[in-house]
Amino acid sequence: MTQDRILEIRDLQVDFDTEDGQVHAVSGITCHIDAGECLGIVGESGSGKSQTFLAAMGLLSRNGTVSGAIEFRGQNLIGLGIPALNKIRGDKISMIFQDPLTSLTPHMRIGHQMREVLGAHRGMGDRQADQVCLDWLERVRIPEAARRLRQYPHELSGGMRQRVMIAMAMLCDPDLLIADEPTTALDVTIQAEILDIMDELRRERGTAIALITHDMGVVARMCDRVQVMRYGAYVEAGLTDDIFYNPQHDYTKKLLNAVPRIDPEASIERPIPKPLAAGSKGNFLKVDNVEVQFKIRKGFFARPDILRAVDQVSFDVNPGETLGIVGESGSGKSTLARAVLQLIPPTAGNVSWLGTSLNDLDQEEMKAKRSDLQIVFQDPLASLDPSMTVGASIMEPLKVFEKHLSKDQMRAKVQDMMERVGLDHTMINRYPHELSGGQNQRVGIARATIARPSLVICDEAVSALDVSIRAQILELLMGLQKEFDLSFIFISHDLSVVWEISHRILVLYLGTVVELTDSDSLFRNPQHPYTKQLISAVPLPDPRLERGRARIKLKGELSSPIDPRARMRFLPSKLHLASQGYVPKLEERMPGHFVAEHDPIEELLV
Amino acid sequence: MLGPQKQSIVEDTFSSPGATTQGRSLMQNAWLRLMRNRAAVVSLFVLGLLILLAFAGPYFIPYNYEDPDWAAFRMPPSIESGHYMGTDQNGRDLFARILYGTRVSLAVALVATLVSVFIGVTFGAVAGYIGGRVDQAMMRFVDIMYALPYILFVILLMVIFGRNVYLLFAAIGALEWLTMARIVRGQTLSIKQREYIEAARASGQGTFAIIFKHIIPNLAGPVVIYAALTVPEIIVTESFLSYLGFGVQEPLTSLGTLIADGASVFEVLPWLLWFPATFLVLLLLSLLFIGDGLRDAFDPKER
Amino acid sequence: MLNYAFKRLITTIPVVWIAITVCFFILRLAPGGPFDGERPLPEAVKRNLAAFYNLDKPLVEQYLIYVGNVLRGDLGPSFVTQDFTVAEQIAIGLPYTIIVGGLAFALAIIAGVLCGIFGALKRNQLPDFVLGGIILSGLVLPNFLLAPVFQLIFGLELNWLPVGGWGDGSIRYLILPVCVLALPHIARISRLMRGSMIEVLGTNFIRTARSKGLNDTPVVWRHALKPALTPVVSYLGPAAGYLLTGSLVVETIFGIPGIGRYFINAALNRDYGMVLGTVIFYMVLIIVLNLIVDVIYAWLDPRVRSQ
Repeated sequence: MTQDRILEIRDLQVDFDTEDGQVHAVSGITCHIDAGECLGIVGESGSGKSQTFLAAMGLLSRNGTVSGAIEFRGQNLIGLGIPALNKIRGDKISMIFQDPLTSLTPHMRIGHQMREVLGAHRGMGDRQADQVCLDWLERVRIPEAARRLRQYPHELSGGMRQRVMIAMAMLCDPDLLIADEPTTALDVTIQAEILDIMDELRRERGTAIALITHDMGVVARMCDRVQVMRYGAYVEAGLTDDIFYNPQHDYTKKLLNAVPRIDPEASIERPIPKPLAAGSKGNFLKVDNVEVQFKIRKGFFARPDILRAVDQVSFDVNPGETLGIVGESGSGKSTLARAVLQLIPPTAGNVSWLGTSLNDLDQEEMKAKRSDLQIVFQDPLASLDPSMTVGASIMEPLKVFEKHLSKDQMRAKVQDMMERVGLDHTMINRYPHELSGGQNQRVGIARATIARPSLVICDEAVSALDVSIRAQILELLMGLQKEFDLSFIFISHDLSVVWEISHRILVLYLGTVVELTDSDSLFRNPQHPYTKQLISAVPLPDPRLERGRARIKLKGELSSPIDPRARMRFLPSKLHLASQGYVPKLEERMPGHFVAEHDPIEELLV
Repeated sequence: MLGPQKQSIVEDTFSSPGATTQGRSLMQNAWLRLMRNRAAVVSLFVLGLLILLAFAGPYFIPYNYEDPDWAAFRMPPSIESGHYMGTDQNGRDLFARILYGTRVSLAVALVATLVSVFIGVTFGAVAGYIGGRVDQAMMRFVDIMYALPYILFVILLMVIFGRNVYLLFAAIGALEWLTMARIVRGQTLSIKQREYIEAARASGQGTFAIIFKHIIPNLAGPVVIYAALTVPEIIVTESFLSYLGFGVQEPLTSLGTLIADGASVFEVLPWLLWFPATFLVLLLLSLLFIGDGLRDAFDPKER
Repeated sequence: MLNYAFKRLITTIPVVWIAITVCFFILRLAPGGPFDGERPLPEAVKRNLAAFYNLDKPLVEQYLIYVGNVLRGDLGPSFVTQDFTVAEQIAIGLPYTIIVGGLAFALAIIAGVLCGIFGALKRNQLPDFVLGGIILSGLVLPNFLLAPVFQLIFGLELNWLPVGGWGDGSIRYLILPVCVLALPHIARISRLMRGSMIEVLGTNFIRTARSKGLNDTPVVWRHALKPALTPVVSYLGPAAGYLLTGSLVVETIFGIPGIGRYFINAALNRDYGMVLGTVIFYMVLIIVLNLIVDVIYAWLDPRVRSQ
């Protein structure tokens, strides 16, 4: 066995000297990786999972110090001089990172960046190196590989860049590939492709992979063994199946429980909306053929391109109901949310609230309606004014909508609301930068609900949070829904989260509705090829299920919403109508189950 | 980098009981960081001393900046005579003249900085808040202005309209605002996109309330930093113009004029150069450290 | 690339035009005509002079004539030195100004960039602190102070170098003025360079480059240098302007017969024609330098080019 051992980490400590004293990022980690296996390192933010491997690569920031041992094939990497380290990294061990755009040098062509690896480790000339690079680009399935070599990173899409990173990391056929959250910044469908490529490389080349991630689904899909970390320390390690089906440590159990799973058979306790009064349907929130267009200006005098961010979208929301909106980047989901609230005026179409059209209201009338319609944002810190105390932020809606209250009454209300969302009322005079992400999100929720609105839009409200905190926030939202009889529009790119909280789900693709139905039938009986692809791309936190799953791959990639042909991707037979602004029509296949027209899925598969 | 991460692993529901209820704002944090910066604190002290000397000093020395002491021409510095820094060719007390010159330099710096802050913030905030084509046109104008050698313009104005201290103040201020406008515009653009502005709009606040409650308070940091960096620039510019003979006129004086006078005779009367030069350098040095300290305090990055 | 340069060139034309127009009207605003000397001239002479200088024509026509002349390189007559036109005087002074200014510019860029990189790589070590001292002195010693101090030390005390003048134009006469002119900009450029280099060295793509096993040399020179140069390059435009104004002082103090000295003399003698002509010339020069800077900027960052 020992000759197969590639990397062995023993009692690793990583400390950082900061202004506020020493921070122990990693304290006493021990683990190992054998040839050809995939080790998953799982943990939430601040668990020290990335720092462990940055230490192995000698890439810690300057204020970091390391002790312990990191042995690569018996050679201790700690204390190794840079020249000796440079012989190993890029050659025997290589690494890919989370954000592929900032991880590639912006001013150098792809080919140049790849060639220099071969130049440094193999002493290869440019011509010979080019051939090897080309081979690898083709192996990671990059179309038109030869042309890509001459392009700059900003000319490629996100998924393509990460594939370039992988190809670059594989050039010298390393023994170990360290992947630090390689798919976190990517859409699910692209994530599925990247994971496929990595899995293939491991099987074909025997490259061991250290996969650092926060996503239990990705672990279940990829890893042989798992190492769970928290607060820079080891929690539990073992074979993937053991960890998933027989976790020993409380934290592991908590983590697994916190992960939302798409499983239509499981019963989920969502608050049940009150039955509708007869005839009131459609009188709550009704969105009718809404369009939002942006002009993209290329130069001062150039004719602007029209970006149709939201195109002919219609839906309604009932009292006490949660409508989930799912879409990948560029699907226009956030723009749609802002159009509903009239934060961005819709270019066409109508939004009506309790039977009144919001489009026709003047500013004062709209202001009055805003007490009913609120929003919670993605980035908890950015959504709070840094110069205001938490209490002042929560109080703002009261000052606008309930002016009759005295200062003390307002303060009392704010404190009540803080307790309700799980914040200590003594924190009322704190500032956002002094609170954690989860606490700030609670502040955002308190601000949105304090004036007792009827509808709250949650725009990626839990996407920036760690799994365990995410679960707490979801629970809080559902609790508030039950208590105040709230309706939610819950927007996310994350299918499993949306599924957990929503009664009905709307799937968006490049600004158009692709499918709309209740949550369970969406997952039990998806109709549209895009929905099917999305669902199949989400990795399940269940290794046995995950291994047996087939993925649906469709032709083409998410393309630019500026191109009118892009939205005909699932209807190539009517592509010739694209230039006339044709949008696939929504049809009601079953009662309450709407699907956009599309060609048979067999014709769309790769 | 580790700061915010460390926070998020703290258990996420209740803060520990008995924790302080009074938070510290970013401004207070910056102030505390500034007070920990030794160079900045010493500089603040030195600057305070210089200001005090310049404004209160004349009441405590027996000589006046313009009247000659007929008994003492070209006198080297000495304690006994009361001319601590000597006298010039006209028998005027150098110390009194330096204090007066420092006062002029400080006044020019103050007025011109205020002018530049006023124009820069207004221009930048308007461009940033309106955005679109207006913004593009306004910033193109700034780019153009940036490319022109203003000091020549100031000299041109001084030549054509005659030397006038007020014109000088205004002219220097009016040409130093460009960088301020750029900084404010950039900051406004980024604040405008922040979600808390949208949150404020979603809670029914009007445009003016948003500008005054949410945008302007968050502009304060960069404006303060850059204003502090503008002051020494202006002092140098004024001295430069005075040195060339386009600044304040005799018998009024400024540090630049004193240095110019001293430089022409520094082989024989070296103190006429060294003392005003020391004052100027001390002034610039302390302002520089304060500016740097403010920048580090508001924007703590590893440097 | 050429395409980009051409586009930028087109956009500078209105700038030059605005500059010339502003100058024309400033001249018109000047109190009193150029010939209101101490002794009043006879009416007939005045009329002749006015006709000669086109002062009797309508304002619009005067303006067109003026713009036309400037475009042809005729910056008008000097009002004091009657023997030479403004253009001729500039032509006489230009070589000196270009040599001193150009050398100082080159020195400032090369020394500033190298010092900045060195300081960033040896951060918080002895060389960095030495650099910090140099930067500081460059920032607080304006060149009108530096010049007499250098003259005193290197010229009078040590007697190594001439105190001023052009002499035979040999390097000995150039060292002091070029150094005095360059030092403040060495300080500013190395400060910018050091800061941006430290920032770039902390970016993700440098981490990637290191993870590929590249040595310091390619990491710094191939990956980090170009992006780190961006703030330095955008400073070069204004720097050229500062350098020109600095050359006014340096040429005066060191007695170099360049344009700067003519300009100062003209300004002190209220020679409107000369002052205005020189300002126009300087502006065009600065605008051209800015154009070059813009093109370099685009070369540094492929994203600017594709916009």
